[in-house]
Amino acid sequence: MRYFLFVYCLFITSVVFCNNDKRLYDDAFYFTKAEIIDENTTRIPFKLVDRLIVIEGVHNDKKGLFIIDTGSEKLLLNKVHFSHLISRNNRIENTTGVIDFVDDPVEKRIQQLLFQGLSVNDKRSNIIDMSHIEKSKKIKILGIIGYDVLKDYEVFIDMYLNQITLSKIDKHGEKLGSQRYLEKVVDSIDFKLKNHTIVIEGNINGKNLTFGLDTGAEFNQLNTKLPNKVLQSFYPKERIKLLGASDSSIEVIFGLLYRVKLSETVYFGPMKTILTNLNSMNEAFGTKLDGILGHDFFAQKRAIINYKKEKIYFINFPTIR
Amino acid sequence: MKAKFLYISIFLLTFFSSSVFSQKEKVKGYRIEGDEIVFTFDKRDYEKVTDERSQRRMDFDDFDIRNVVVSGEFNFWSRDAWKMNKVNENIYELRKKVADFKDNFEWQFKFVINNNFWAEPSDKMANITPATEKGKPLHTYNLRFIQAYPDENGNANFSLKGYPNAKKVILAGTFNKWDERLFEMTKTEDGWRLILQLKPEVHQYKFIVDGHWITDPSNPNKIQNEYGGYNSIKEVRTEVEFYLYDYLDANKIILAGDFNDWSEKDCQMVRTKKGWTQTLRLTGGKYHYKYIVDGQWILDPHNTVKEYDGKGHINSVKMVR
Repeated sequence: MRYFLFVYCLFITSVVFCNNDKRLYDDAFYFTKAEIIDENTTRIPFKLVDRLIVIEGVHNDKKGLFIIDTGSEKLLLNKVHFSHLISRNNRIENTTGVIDFVDDPVEKRIQQLLFQGLSVNDKRSNIIDMSHIEKSKKIKILGIIGYDVLKDYEVFIDMYLNQITLSKIDKHGEKLGSQRYLEKVVDSIDFKLKNHTIVIEGNINGKNLTFGLDTGAEFNQLNTKLPNKVLQSFYPKERIKLLGASDSSIEVIFGLLYRVKLSETVYFGPMKTILTNLNSMNEAFGTKLDGILGHDFFAQKRAIINYKKEKIYFINFPTIR
Repeated sequence: MKAKFLYISIFLLTFFSSSVFSQKEKVKGYRIEGDEIVFTFDKRDYEKVTDERSQRRMDFDDFDIRNVVVSGEFNFWSRDAWKMNKVNENIYELRKKVADFKDNFEWQFKFVINNNFWAEPSDKMANITPATEKGKPLHTYNLRFIQAYPDENGNANFSLKGYPNAKKVILAGTFNKWDERLFEMTKTEDGWRLILQLKPEVHQYKFIVDGHWITDPSNPNKIQNEYGGYNSIKEVRTEVEFYLYDYLDANKIILAGDFNDWSEKDCQMVRTKKGWTQTLRLTGGKYHYKYIVDGQWILDPHNTVKEYDGKGHINSVKMVR
């Protein structure tokens, strides 16, 4: 599992918390750049660090970045900055999701995350060492925001406006409030939620495949064990070595993946993809996947994820006149 | 492709090598023209090539050039994908959009002749970086470019008064991931100076004077950083045109937006043959705006991107990059 240390860097996402006068808990996290649109909706600008989505956050005057990662199950905090939250009785033996390969995770209950206007209360977090990500990306990472936080919202990940819009939803997944999306929703696909993973059925060259959708995946991944008919759409360019925080390395094949279709109308241009053995990663995702769609999915589609309805809606990139 | 040239680490992709991007030597292999990067191969710049198959180092004059290809991290070191156009007997060029290189902070590349011979950069080139494998030098170089680069005609002027006895002053910031070697400032009569071409963004920076990090003493614009200290702020702007088609019967049209605090008089549009125009200098980011046509507030009818503000109003949205 050591090799997944470096894959880990491919699976990260962030969250934005905001300033809020009503500080209810001492250990609250605030997303300083979040913007209240109405009582049910918050917009959070993000930056891309390489191919990771990050938002600014503050905890006890400590500023840093959170990675938005639909591939992570829980809120993760960086041990580098939150070692003081670790006490003897919150050490845990196992975690789920991509952090399976983290040696010594620690669980901590976070009382409140405050996005501007929206608050997320009483979330479990795992405290893990993210120093290798900080080193490679040269940024200060406070943590990773995953499924456990995002699932209660409709999440619009907009790579055109570089922002995430979080909208509260009711128990049926209907967006609360009267404000609609002002740009036209042009298409949609269904997905299944398997544990915390968004699982999409698609096909390549007519062969049906199962993909996980992960904002924290800097590059798509495709399982080496797939039939030739599928791999014919993968145009290998190079063998590359991926390095972890330690000296361990693994060689994978890097290339472009063509002809990914998720429906008759939803398909993609070539996507940067790593060909790798996903069997071990499937354990982390808690389901069997043929591939993982990451950054390039969102770079090609402005996507709205509704976890309750298990639907993804698409909005076109504008045509600049 | 040869492993020794191709050693790429996703993890280390954004690390800079130990070489100094000195402004005393010339940057070779590319230039930036507007929104394009022009890869330029001038055969007079190269003395040696390496045979892909035999690994033999040869003199450049030993063979005829049939074609030249740009090969790098951006095309997975393909030896045939990015064929260059012959400009004259010595020079080959290939133009690409700078925007296509947004994924990475730094890109390494080389030129391949006749799909087989790697042109070896010399140590006289400013933008070389040692090719390495597992951290060990391979005694050859790759060329590299990053989106920020020194340019006498650049858009960001950095200067530091005094420090006549300093041996070396480095400019480091968000534009180069706080690299401590890359941008060495040039000594002037009264201090140190460097001009960069930067993306329109709000950049943070510091000077490193003989190893000591300092903020810019002449710049009052600072922000507290995550380490409790301060970074200086440089806001780089670019010209952004707002164009409203039609409305040729109107007498007066005002451009109002969050960039001018929604002023109803500051920014009058200029009539053209097909509509109205106004150009502003803005830094990168998202802007809300509307037009006031003879006192009537309207959305931009040709812009599909719209958003609510926090008060329930709908505005047109422009992204500046």
